[in-house]
Amino acid sequence: MANILQKDKRFFLYQEPPPGYIAGFGRGAVGFTTRLDIGSARNSDIPGFEDKKGGGGGGREDRNSGNDDDDDQSVYGGSKFDEFEGNASDKFYDSNKSYDQDDKEADEIWDAIDSKMDSRRKKRKDEKEKQRQQEQKSSRPIIQQQLSDLKQDLSTITDDQWSSLPDAGNISRSGTGKKRYDIYTPVPDSLLERAKAENETYSILPTGVDNSSGTTTTDLTQVGSARKTVLDLKLHQVSDSVSGKTCVDPKGYLTDLRSKRIASDTEIGDIKKARLLFKSATTSNPKHAPGWIAAAKLEVLAGKMADARRMIAQACKECPENEEVWIENANLQTPDNAKIVLAQAVSIIPHSVKIWLYAANLEKQLKMKKRVLRRALEFIPTSVKLWKEAVELEEPEDARILLGRAVECVPDNVDLWLALANLETYEKAREVLNKARQAIPSSPEIWISAAQLEESKGKNDNVNKIIKKAIKSLSSNIMVMNREKWIEEAEKSEKNQYYATCQAIIFETIGMGIEEEERKRIWVLDAEECLSRGSIKTANAIYAHILYVFPNKKSVWLKVAQLEKAHGTKESLDQTLEKATKSCPQFENLWLMYAKEKWISGDVIKAREILAKAFQSNPGSENIWVAAAKIESEMNDLKAARTLLKKARVVADTERIWMKSALLERELGKDSESEGTLIQDALVKYPSSFKLWLMKAQLEERLKKDIETIRQTYKNATVKCPKNSSVWIEASRFEARNQNFNRARALLEQAKLKNPTDEDIILELVRFEASLDNKKQALTILSAGLQLCPKSGKLWAELIAMEPRHSQKNKCVDALNRCNNDPYVFTQVSKIFWFDSKLDKAKQWFQRVTTTFPSFGDGWAYYYTFVLKTSQNSDAEAKEILNKCIEAEPNLGEQWIKVSKQIYNSHLKTEQILKQVSLNISKSILIQQHQQLKK
Amino acid sequence: MSYLLTHLPNGWAVDQAIVTEEDRVVVIRFGHDYDPDCMRQDEVLASIAEKVKNMAVIYVVDITDVPDFNKMYELYDNCTTMFFYRNKHIMIDLGTGNNNKINWPLTSKQDMIDIIETVYRGARKGKGLVNSPRDFSTKYKY
Repeated sequence: MANILQKDKRFFLYQEPPPGYIAGFGRGAVGFTTRLDIGSARNSDIPGFEDKKGGGGGGREDRNSGNDDDDDQSVYGGSKFDEFEGNASDKFYDSNKSYDQDDKEADEIWDAIDSKMDSRRKKRKDEKEKQRQQEQKSSRPIIQQQLSDLKQDLSTITDDQWSSLPDAGNISRSGTGKKRYDIYTPVPDSLLERAKAENETYSILPTGVDNSSGTTTTDLTQVGSARKTVLDLKLHQVSDSVSGKTCVDPKGYLTDLRSKRIASDTEIGDIKKARLLFKSATTSNPKHAPGWIAAAKLEVLAGKMADARRMIAQACKECPENEEVWIENANLQTPDNAKIVLAQAVSIIPHSVKIWLYAANLEKQLKMKKRVLRRALEFIPTSVKLWKEAVELEEPEDARILLGRAVECVPDNVDLWLALANLETYEKAREVLNKARQAIPSSPEIWISAAQLEESKGKNDNVNKIIKKAIKSLSSNIMVMNREKWIEEAEKSEKNQYYATCQAIIFETIGMGIEEEERKRIWVLDAEECLSRGSIKTANAIYAHILYVFPNKKSVWLKVAQLEKAHGTKESLDQTLEKATKSCPQFENLWLMYAKEKWISGDVIKAREILAKAFQSNPGSENIWVAAAKIESEMNDLKAARTLLKKARVVADTERIWMKSALLERELGKDSESEGTLIQDALVKYPSSFKLWLMKAQLEERLKKDIETIRQTYKNATVKCPKNSSVWIEASRFEARNQNFNRARALLEQAKLKNPTDEDIILELVRFEASLDNKKQALTILSAGLQLCPKSGKLWAELIAMEPRHSQKNKCVDALNRCNNDPYVFTQVSKIFWFDSKLDKAKQWFQRVTTTFPSFGDGWAYYYTFVLKTSQNSDAEAKEILNKCIEAEPNLGEQWIKVSKQIYNSHLKTEQILKQVSLNISKSILIQQHQQLKK
Repeated sequence: MSYLLTHLPNGWAVDQAIVTEEDRVVVIRFGHDYDPDCMRQDEVLASIAEKVKNMAVIYVVDITDVPDFNKMYELYDNCTTMFFYRNKHIMIDLGTGNNNKINWPLTSKQDMIDIIETVYRGARKGKGLVNSPRDFSTKYKY
């Protein structure tokens, strides 16, 4: 059915093709060529079809115009038309007729007539023709002719006029009008089609035959690969010759290539250019030595040694006076030749130190070197350098002689004098130095070395004299040495162990050029600087001078004492302190220090004596009283201590004395009654002393008084000292101990109200809540507290401890950002590392804690425990820490105070406390771990 | 099966068939009805002719009776199938290297349908070269 319906549409199936129809041509079909071996697809045998790209339309016209045989009318070619004969196709024209004899004759006749007609009136015709041309010229003249006369005038114009001709400028009105929008006309399909056909390439290209229809572009990769193959071929040919022998070893060839120094094109170009430049430089200015040297160096760089040598030899000829050229020449030669060159050089310029030195260096043998140098000295006796070189090579004896000569020749060189003096014996050295002084009066070095010489012979008196003289003569010689330089000199001589010289210099010079009022400040500064540079003796000397000038300055004495304690011997310390206490007896710290030193060294009697002396000069000082009482109580001399304190209470009636008395009773007397009366009396005098209140409460607790009275005591205490956190805390703890948690909480809340920014109270509150398992409450209080006092390390440490494990690290970072320098935070952080078993880091942090806060006991204790628990050789390390801790004498830290302030613990040594604390810590850690395991 | 397909008896008919078809692909099989390859090809073409009639019209040309295109289209194989759309020869990248025509009997109906559809879609978008949905290179290599 479909076929029937479609029948009328497909008329072509039954139509005959039009006559002469060329298949494919009618629709402009384009063939393709993929297999040229079979044949070309171009229909070259069909006329007008050879250009397949010509398309349908063009092809049709081509065909028509080229078709001569067609009887079409389009063949009216103008070429055949004749004026007389007319068109070839007119009625006279018979195409079938052949050209015979008659025709020829007729043509000849006609030609003859034509020529005849032409020759008649030829003159007139020519004239007429000329006239006609002229007429045409005038009626329609060409521009060139019109302007010819004007052009003639141009010959008179000068060059200036030419150049000053104005530019024409664009006066056309293009672009002034309203701009038209660009009009885009759609490109007709046929055009695109043709363009595509134009550039069409087919995927299969005939090998070896150029496809003219495809675009040919230069393929660079192909070129590269071609070159490679060529090289490959060549190498192959070379390596495998026909005879089977290889004339080139490929491996050797390659190594050859590698070892060849590749001078790139640019390099070569540069060298050439530089060579040209230098050549011009040397020819234009042959006396200029650097040019020659540079040229020679360039040749060396280019690898042309011979050229370089020739160049430098020429240079030596051109400028023989220049030592640089000679040295360069010697440089370029072999050692033997170099010697010859230098010999020449020396003969021309005998006074060049450089050349002599170079020559001496060239000699390998010591003997020859000496000889060269001596020869040199003959020519140049004034060269210090040469003398030094020569002396260095000699034995001490010869050197001395040489130096003697040198000093004569060059009298104004300090080094030579000093060297000579060093080599001489004492007596002679003195002479030498005296001479030197005369020769060079302005050199402080000679004076100082003279002083040192004296000191080395043990004549310290002379040292002072010499230095004094030195300063006099130097100041008279207008050679100004300022104070800093002298101090430097002093330090130098200290380093060489000439202490007396150092002291003498300081004594004489320290006062130079300073205002009266400024003296002390500047001197102290100087001393501190010297200390920081490690020159203790100098510092000491400066201090000594300060004390000599200001014997009553307490701070200086203190500093000196500290210096002695740090660096000096015991005796010197004792002496210093003795002197100090004598010169400023009103300063109790010095007394205390002295007594303590004595006591530590075990000399109790002496200590007592000292304190007794101290009492004489400072009767009202509580510190001295307390110290004395302490010594007595430590010596278990209870009576003496008691009487002392009794006296003290009368003489120096202070809170501390009262408290100490009560403490004494508590610790040693166990006499609660007298303690109670003492405290009672004290409280009457000093009602606002929280310590006394606390002591009272503790006493009552110890005596098992009923809760109400104790509570009353605490209440009184809180009323009297509401701003003191420890009173509140103790009160609340008391309540908590008696299971009155609500009361305890109320107390703490009250305390917080009164002291809202007190970290201790907040911390206590947090811990209190935590101990009652109110974790949430504790956390809220803690965070609120942290907002109130964000710098509190204790609170941060607590927060870190309370965090769940995974977020502890973040909190650590936070805490460190907020309060970077807090011992509590540091310890907490190191603990965290410890529990995460990052032992190295933990150790680092512990070390940081103990070094930055040496008085923070908790840090030491934690470190100690850490080492004991984790370290491999724990004993040794623990011992080390123990020693350091004893040195540092810590007295701060929560855990530490808990132990150290316990009754009966007051006489414990640092060591014992540390061990106790670390025991507590390890216990608490065990408990923690146990709890975590339970969870 | 060639009797089920329309034969084009001369070059004029071939040209008119290609030129006058306005919105379908013209598929022409060049070859001989008696050739075994062509027989297989014709069977496939005949069976899918009805299915693809909205996309393509299929003709058969005897290259002995109509030798006009032999040189132009290099019809030297036993069986060649070519595609035209609106008087434009549509090329297919079959992976064989010759994109101009299918010069072997393609005996899978589905493949043929797929190719015709691809040609139709591509040609409608104005493409002169479409990619065959399948690569035929491994099977028929020269």
